[in-house]
Amino acid sequence: MTKTEYDVANFVEQKIELSAGPVQYLKGGDGPAVLHLHSTAGPRRSPAIEKLSIKHTIHMPIMPGFNGTPAHPTLRSMSDLADLMAEFIQKAVGKACDVVAESFGGWIALWLAVKHPELVEQLVLEAPAGLRTKGVGGLPADPAERDRKLYAVPDRAPKDSRYAEVLPGNFKAAMGYTGGETLDEALLKSLPKIKARTLLLFGSKEEVTPVEDVGRRLKSGIPHSYLSFIYGAAHAVEFDQPDRVARLVGAFLERGEAFVVRTAEVA
Amino acid sequence: MKFSYFHLMPWTELDEAPQQWPASNSTFDPKRGKELYDCYIDTMAFAEQCGFDWVGCNEHHFSPYGLMANCNLIGSVLSQRTKSIKLAMLGNLIPLLNPIRVAEEYAMIDVMSGGRLVAGLIRGVPHEYIAYNVIPGESRERLREATALIIKAWTEPEPFGWEGEFYQYPSVSIWPKPYQRPHPKILMSASNEESAEFAGQHKAMMGMTLIADLKAAQRCINVYRDATKGHGFEPRAEDILIGQNTCIAESDEEAKEHLSQGLNYFHKVLMHSIRDAMRLVVQKSRFFAQEQYGERFVSRLATLNARNIDEMIEAGSVLCGSPKTVIKQMKRIQGELGNGRFNLNMKIGNIPDSVVRRGMELFRDQVLPEAAGL
Repeated sequence: MTKTEYDVANFVEQKIELSAGPVQYLKGGDGPAVLHLHSTAGPRRSPAIEKLSIKHTIHMPIMPGFNGTPAHPTLRSMSDLADLMAEFIQKAVGKACDVVAESFGGWIALWLAVKHPELVEQLVLEAPAGLRTKGVGGLPADPAERDRKLYAVPDRAPKDSRYAEVLPGNFKAAMGYTGGETLDEALLKSLPKIKARTLLLFGSKEEVTPVEDVGRRLKSGIPHSYLSFIYGAAHAVEFDQPDRVARLVGAFLERGEAFVVRTAEVA
Repeated sequence: MKFSYFHLMPWTELDEAPQQWPASNSTFDPKRGKELYDCYIDTMAFAEQCGFDWVGCNEHHFSPYGLMANCNLIGSVLSQRTKSIKLAMLGNLIPLLNPIRVAEEYAMIDVMSGGRLVAGLIRGVPHEYIAYNVIPGESRERLREATALIIKAWTEPEPFGWEGEFYQYPSVSIWPKPYQRPHPKILMSASNEESAEFAGQHKAMMGMTLIADLKAAQRCINVYRDATKGHGFEPRAEDILIGQNTCIAESDEEAKEHLSQGLNYFHKVLMHSIRDAMRLVVQKSRFFAQEQYGERFVSRLATLNARNIDEMIEAGSVLCGSPKTVIKQMKRIQGELGNGRFNLNMKIGNIPDSVVRRGMELFRDQVLPEAAGL
C-alpha cells in the first residue's frame, strides 16, 4: 500500500483476510464503530473524519486495487464490493455499525444497505455516485476544472504529493468496478428496500453529482432519509467544510432521528 | 419606463430632533399612529389607480424615520387592498432576520397577492445592526448565505437541511411556497460599488437610492452590469431601479417649497440621531469591506444633507417641479444611467399628505402619459 500523510497519528494500518482475499484498512479513534467508505480518490483521512474520530472508532478499508493494493479476482462489481464490506463488518468490526461514505463509497454503501440491512445501523451518504444520469454532472478531464468541481475551498484540498501518484491507479480500479456506468438501474429500483435511517449530504456548490438529479432520486427512493446542504462545499464536503460536516454527521450518528432537535451541547 | 411608488411611513409629529440614537419613543401617540397608518396605507393602495407598476416599502428600526419595523405586514395588507400592482418589499433586512421566516413571509405575500411580490433581499443601512445586535462585519456574508438559503427554501421540492456558517436548520419545508416559479424576482441594493457587484453576482435586480452625483451612480451600474457577466444573466433597463425623493406640484416653485420643507424635517429631525449611529458603525466595524466605501457612504450622506433643492436637482438626487419639469429631469437621469424603472418616494418628512396625493394625481394625469414611453 502507498502511504499518504493521512495514515498518521492514532490511525493504525491493519489487515484482515476475507474470503475473496486480504483487505487493508486504517483504524483509529474512540467510541462506537463507524465504517468509512472512500471515494474514487482512495482512502483519505479528512479533517472531518479526524473530528468524528474523537467520539467514534473509524474503520477505513481500502477497496482492493486502490492505493496499489492487489485486486481480488472474484470482485467485479459495486455489488461485489458491498458483499466484501458486509464480511468486513462481521469480521473486523464485529457487529452492525454506522456507515459514512463519500461519492464512489456511497455507491458501495447503498448496495450494502440494500443487500445486508442487518449490518447497517445508520447511513450517511456524501454526494454518492451510482445514481447520476449520464451526461449530467460528472468530473471533467481537465485537472484544474476537476479540482474546481471537487473543492469549493482550494486551500483545504488534500496536499499530499503522494496522493497524486496513486490517483490514476485508483481511477482505473474504480472503473473496473463501475464499468463506466453512472446510473445503476438495479440499485435505483432497490432503494426502497433500505431500512437504515439515512442522511444525504450535498455541498451547496455541488456539480459532480447534482442534487437536482442524484439527490432527488435518493430522497424519494430511500424511505427514511434526510437531505441536507453543506453551505460553502462542492463535491468533497469533508475537506471543504470539515466543521460543518463533523457537526452534522456527529449529531446524526449520536442522536439518530432526534438530530433535528437542537440541544445545548454541540455534537 | 416603469414606476414604483415608495413609502417610508415617517412619523411627522416631532417638534425637535432626537439628540441620541435610538430616538426616545416617549412622545409616540398611538392614536396618531393609527391615523398615520390608515392614511399611508390608503395612499399606497391609491398608487395602483395612479398607474404605478410597483408599490414599495422597506424596513427600519428604532426610529421615527419610518413606522415600518416589518414591511411584510404592510405588504400583506396591500395584497388585499390592491389587484394588479406589484408589491415591492425593498425590503427585508436579511442579515438581521431569520431567513426561513423571511422565506415564509415572502411566500405568503406572493401567494396572497397572486404572484405580485418583488422580493428585496437587503443588507440595510449600518445603524440597524445596533438595533438587532448583529455584528456589522458579518453583514455581507450573512446576506450571502441567507440568500442561498432563502432560494433553497423557495425552490427545494422536498424537505431539506442546511448546515452553514451562520444558519443551521436540520429540517426545512416551508408552507406555502411562492406563487411565482421558480421564485419571485429578487432585488438587491446597489448604492455603492461593493453592493452593486454583489447584486450582479446574484442575478438580482438592482436598486439605488440617495444618489449624490450621477457619475458615481453610473459607476455602480457599470459594476453591476460587469458582475452579471458569467452568471447567465443580462440585466434589462427595467432591472435597474433608481430611487428618487420626488415632489410634483402645479408649479416648480410650489414643488420646491414643499420639498424644501419636507427635506428640512427629514434631515434635521428624522435623520439627526441616525447619522451619529451610522457613523459609529461605519467607523468602528467592518460593515464595509473596504474602508473607502465607508468613507464614501458617510461623505455621500453629508453631501446630500448640505445641498439646497436646486443643487439636488442638478446632481440628480431628487425629482422636483411641475409635471413638465419632472419629465425633463427623468429624461436627463435616464439618459445618463439607462435605468428602466424609477422608485418615487413622495412622502418626504412632513410634506402634507394632501400634497402627496395631489402629486400622485399629477403623475397619473400629466407625467405618466409621456414618461411611460421613455
